[in-house]
Amino acid sequence: MNAIEIRDLSKSFRGMYAVDHLNMTVPQGAIYGFIGENGSGKSTTMKLICGHLVSDGGEIRLFGRDFTDAGVRVRVGALIENAGCFPGSSVYQNLMMQCINLGLENPDEEIRRVLEIVRMEDNADLKFKSCSLGMKQRIGIAMALLGDPALLILDEPINGLDTDGMRIMREILVDITEKYGCTVLISSHILGELEKIATHYGIIRQGKMIMELSAAEMDSRAQVFTTLRTKDTEGAVKVLSEKYADVRSDDGYIRIFDVDDTAEIVDHLMKNGHVVSEIRKNKVGLEEYYIELMSQKEAE
Amino acid sequence: MTNTREMKFESPSFTTRIKGMLGVDFYRLFHTPMFYIFLAIAAIIPAMVSAMTQMPDQNGNTMEPLYSNVWQIIAASKSLYVIEGIADYANMNMVFIFGGIMVSIFIGHDYKSGYVKQLFTTHAKKQDYMISKTLVCAFAMACMCVTYLLGGTVAGLLVNYDTAVNVGSLVIAILGKMIMSLGWASLYTFLNVIFRKYFGISIASSFFFGTGILIIGVAAIVENLALPTSFLNMFLYGASVNANLSSNISALVICIAVSVAWTVFYNFLGTRILSKSDVY
Repeated sequence: MNAIEIRDLSKSFRGMYAVDHLNMTVPQGAIYGFIGENGSGKSTTMKLICGHLVSDGGEIRLFGRDFTDAGVRVRVGALIENAGCFPGSSVYQNLMMQCINLGLENPDEEIRRVLEIVRMEDNADLKFKSCSLGMKQRIGIAMALLGDPALLILDEPINGLDTDGMRIMREILVDITEKYGCTVLISSHILGELEKIATHYGIIRQGKMIMELSAAEMDSRAQVFTTLRTKDTEGAVKVLSEKYADVRSDDGYIRIFDVDDTAEIVDHLMKNGHVVSEIRKNKVGLEEYYIELMSQKEAE
Repeated sequence: MTNTREMKFESPSFTTRIKGMLGVDFYRLFHTPMFYIFLAIAAIIPAMVSAMTQMPDQNGNTMEPLYSNVWQIIAASKSLYVIEGIADYANMNMVFIFGGIMVSIFIGHDYKSGYVKQLFTTHAKKQDYMISKTLVCAFAMACMCVTYLLGGTVAGLLVNYDTAVNVGSLVIAILGKMIMSLGWASLYTFLNVIFRKYFGISIASSFFFGTGILIIGVAAIVENLALPTSFLNMFLYGASVNANLSSNISALVICIAVSVAWTVFYNFLGTRILSKSDVY
């Protein structure tokens, strides 16, 4: 079963499509990285799924049910833009309100559980307004985690976090999917971080889904390349281009794409009188793949 | 590798949903200072009005007392749709004006903090929101009526006003106004749902409607034309004014009918608006 199935979803603001006949499929149990430029329609799509916005048309199904079904919506946890907490109330009070809202039987126990997951068990009595940005984001996650959610919708949860905060957030997300079988729909501009946890990707541009693929598919599509440095870059590029199809130079470095054998490259250069001072094997990451895809779309 | 555990989804009943939403709103009401501040305001206002009219003016002359009877602080002596003097107006009906501001702040904070996102994410049915806000705000305004009664009574006794009253009418007037809190709360909830993105307009519109100025205007025309005024009782302000110190049980029945009818109407409209428009 798919956790989210969206067909032909549209939403416009003042005649401009923010989401343009979008199709999307998020498998159950996935960490689905939702990628796109600013204003591409990620947040609008997430708000539509959460029922904050009314669509112009299309269908949203969550776990096979219509998204307006009260039974499925009560199992959705969301962090959209900010945690949505009362600043003058304590962390505990804010979480307590959500426990009451969800009708949870042991709110105190549940609050302790989620605070432990987000590593904030010692900050329950802190006023929300006194928390740092990283803490607020984690409280937002804790809020979304209350009541055994089947689906988590997280809009830019790692924005503004420091390196350590990002690492903690990453560990939390992997934990909750592995332990609780939760499906996570997450958007972020920090593609390097997303790449470390996502099992599936959806790439959106100008409100349209331009590509959906699993992490395994992404991996198989990712190009391998070798980066090296020599004294005579121009001469080395000329020599390498005679043997390899895709050789590029940039900022003193030479990149040879789709060649896995570094020894052969070094050997070829040596035979032609070029000494290699630095060499390493690389793989095109999500960020490079995304940039490449966007430039292709731009050119179309 | 994805973890695909079996998912079970049980649709919560209407009672369960409302219980959850009401629980949050009552928790918020009792855990924020705003509610207690408004209770205090409701108690202080009648005391201030009574005390100020007993103070000497700049020339040392004692001002004409606003009231002659303690219970006039609570309700007017008859149905005065058109104001003849400030004493006709400055009674428990003022709770509905301050109550409007309180409702605007209460609902406004839902939007300002972003907490409303949590409510609308987990509550697919928008009627839950309307019903819960109306009931909780009605409760808060009814509590303000009680503190107004206490403040007004204590102040009236301290300045030695007369206490003679028809007890039955007094009880009906107090109960009637407390019941009207429901209708007023539904109006303010509705206004705050319409102007949810504009906090200032929400407060201003609640204050405007709370003063009853529209009905006062209509009443002035009706009285000038010497037409019957009883139809004004079908409006929130009219029914609130109709609960006074000369009321009988029919005034209470009118209050119940008018309050419930407008509550159903405003809740229906509010739910429609929330369902058909972007909520955040």
